Amino acid sequence: MSPLSHVNTVVLFARLKLRLMAGNLRGDLQRKLGFIFTLVMATGLAALGFFLMSLLRLAPPDIASSLVIVAFAFFLFAWMIVPLLAFGLDDTLDPAKLSLFPLRTRTLAVGMFTASVTGVWPAAMLIVTFGALIALPANAGGVLLGVPAVLLQFALCVVTSRLITTSLSSALRTRRGRDVLAVAALLVVVLAQLPNLVMNRNLGDPEAMLHQMAALLRWTPPGMAAHAIADGGLIGLAELSFLALLVVALGWLWIKALSRALITPDVSTQAASVRRETGLVDRILPDGPLAAIVTKELKYIRREPRFRVGWFSAVVVTLVLSFSLSGSAEGPPGQGQPIVIATVGALMIALQSGNTFGIDGRSLWMNAVTFGSERSLAGDLAGRHLANALVAVPLLAVIAVGAGLFAGHPGAILPAMLAAWGALGIGLGVGAVTSVVLPYSVPERMNAFSGAAPGQGGQAFASSIGAMLGITLLALPFVVPIVLGFVWVCVVAPFYGLLAEVLGRRLAARIGFARMPELVGAVSKAS
Amino acid sequence: MTDAVRTHGLFKRYGQQVAVAGVDLVVPAGSFAGLVGPNGAGKTTTLSMITGLLRPDGGSAEVDGFHVWRDPVEVKARIGVLPEGLRLFERLSGRELLLYAGRLRGIPKSEVEQRASELLAVMDLAGAADKLVVDYSTGMRKKIGLAAALLHNPSVLFLDEPFEGVDPVSANTLTEVLQRFTASGSTVIFSSHVMDLVERLCDWVSVMSAGHIVAQGPLEDVRGGRSLNQAFLDLVGGSAQGREAGLTWLGAKAKETP
Repeated sequence: MSPLSHVNTVVLFARLKLRLMAGNLRGDLQRKLGFIFTLVMATGLAALGFFLMSLLRLAPPDIASSLVIVAFAFFLFAWMIVPLLAFGLDDTLDPAKLSLFPLRTRTLAVGMFTASVTGVWPAAMLIVTFGALIALPANAGGVLLGVPAVLLQFALCVVTSRLITTSLSSALRTRRGRDVLAVAALLVVVLAQLPNLVMNRNLGDPEAMLHQMAALLRWTPPGMAAHAIADGGLIGLAELSFLALLVVALGWLWIKALSRALITPDVSTQAASVRRETGLVDRILPDGPLAAIVTKELKYIRREPRFRVGWFSAVVVTLVLSFSLSGSAEGPPGQGQPIVIATVGALMIALQSGNTFGIDGRSLWMNAVTFGSERSLAGDLAGRHLANALVAVPLLAVIAVGAGLFAGHPGAILPAMLAAWGALGIGLGVGAVTSVVLPYSVPERMNAFSGAAPGQGGQAFASSIGAMLGITLLALPFVVPIVLGFVWVCVVAPFYGLLAEVLGRRLAARIGFARMPELVGAVSKAS
Repeated sequence: MTDAVRTHGLFKRYGQQVAVAGVDLVVPAGSFAGLVGPNGAGKTTTLSMITGLLRPDGGSAEVDGFHVWRDPVEVKARIGVLPEGLRLFERLSGRELLLYAGRLRGIPKSEVEQRASELLAVMDLAGAADKLVVDYSTGMRKKIGLAAALLHNPSVLFLDEPFEGVDPVSANTLTEVLQRFTASGSTVIFSSHVMDLVERLCDWVSVMSAGHIVAQGPLEDVRGGRSLNQAFLDLVGGSAQGREAGLTWLGAKAKETP
């Protein structure tokens, strides 16, 4: 057989990618709806992005060029990290799947490049980037240089993103690598909040800041692409030549990394031993199923990346909220603020238990073949709640103390603490019910964009909204009086919370035991 | 002799497709029973319904005379299960997993610790006992899964494809443990499509095809003088017809004629 020509390769891989996309949709209504949603979103964002970009034409040229420089740099950054966090969304990403075919590395590189530019999001990206062609050029030369500049910027994004995923692919295929990456997904959550915080703090003049940032990014490759369009002269031409060389160099590096990745075997994870348990829980609890469940749950909170992500993000969201609350309010913060912050912290922590069987996932059968009665399921829930509370109660105390001191109301610490504990109890009770009514699978491979297995997004959404509404409604009876000044109500809160937990757990065990097989099925969906 | 497992018209459909179409499975107590059938015959679905992991659309199942869906407490105390493809609690070490499984059933901790150590030693897992299950190989997973299923000394053990992807040494360990288990009067039911293994181990065979039991009884009766493999092919209809046509290009001789 003759080797494929480049044109053939491009056509072949583009068709392969389209087939894969179509095959993913076959027969599953929810996925089809999801894809239509993606399509609408991407089209909308492409149109909006293009429109906004071209609107910059009306802005003063220096502001327009600064904005485009920042935007181009941001695009490159996004291309560098998003595929890492979403690793596993795209079947063509993993070169190992193609390694058995008799393809030359160069053919493979062209093919993988084609596959990665074929898709809804890359197309939307290209359209938005083309908006710069309307925004920036000051003369005919700018338009002339603009087309290659936009294409080069796009190629730069794609090649850089491929280079990064390929060189990390062997690490990503080990368990440890994926564990680390899962927690790294949190960084994005924090980064996404940065502009929000900066705006709230009113740090300086936005225009001056923009120019500062642009001056910094001006000499980065995406900055050069943007500048070349605005410049349109010889300097622009030089910049583009440099950019083209850079793309080729990165492409070469990528091919090297690819051929290395294909012949380097999977490094099997060096299995580390874990310490034998010290039996701390056993000293407190009587021997039995409850102690076993608490022990197991505490180990999972420590060892399972999805748990770590959940807890970290609960704390991070609380911190971000407290900063923005104290930043936006006029004058000194009120006495109710620490109470609100600690209660929201409790809500965030409790929401993790809104799908408590989800992380057990395909291992839940081990419990299902053991539980012969409602009582054993109730015991399971109790163990999970106890483990959660063992971490959450001290953590909420720390949050309450921190928020009280930060707001300058040490007197509010105790009410905040009690209210938060009450909210936690309510959260666990409501979460137990949503866990059995709306269970869904949590994917093993975390990515920052989806918290549920394909096709269960709606269930996950309904579950978290339901839990949030339920907790808020049940917490209002004591949160409102406390914030209004009847602080003594907080004494009742922990007892009220405990009552909610007990009732929620009983109800959940009754519902859950009756539909145990369905529960196991719902959390065992392939993801 | 009472039956360890008896089902009546067990039925399950997924949408349009009928996975199990009225299965009457019978396994006498104390037997080492093999459930054989081609891929997609409904073996896994049947075992899941008998062990209470999947709700049947019709029919009933009994274990040791107790109704699976009406007497869950009695049934679940008597069965041990090793499903196929489902996971164990991966972030526990092998020893922790056994401790969890045993204590979840209410066995005192000291007792579980002793049983777990013995099981780990017999399964040749003592060296990996403190490593996380997520880092185990397929053979190690099957062994730790079997250990967890045996921990509470069940009277009926259900194993779905216990030998799939297991190396010969581990498979030998598994069979030795299982043979000791049935010699004491307990029952083992396992699904497989490795006929040699079933022929070597089992004294009772049920053959499934397309959601039905097509033959069932003592090994000798089902085999009827043939090898079990031949009997199986005759029963499920794996004839050589239609395989002669086509594929003329395949093989060394085909290369000579372009």
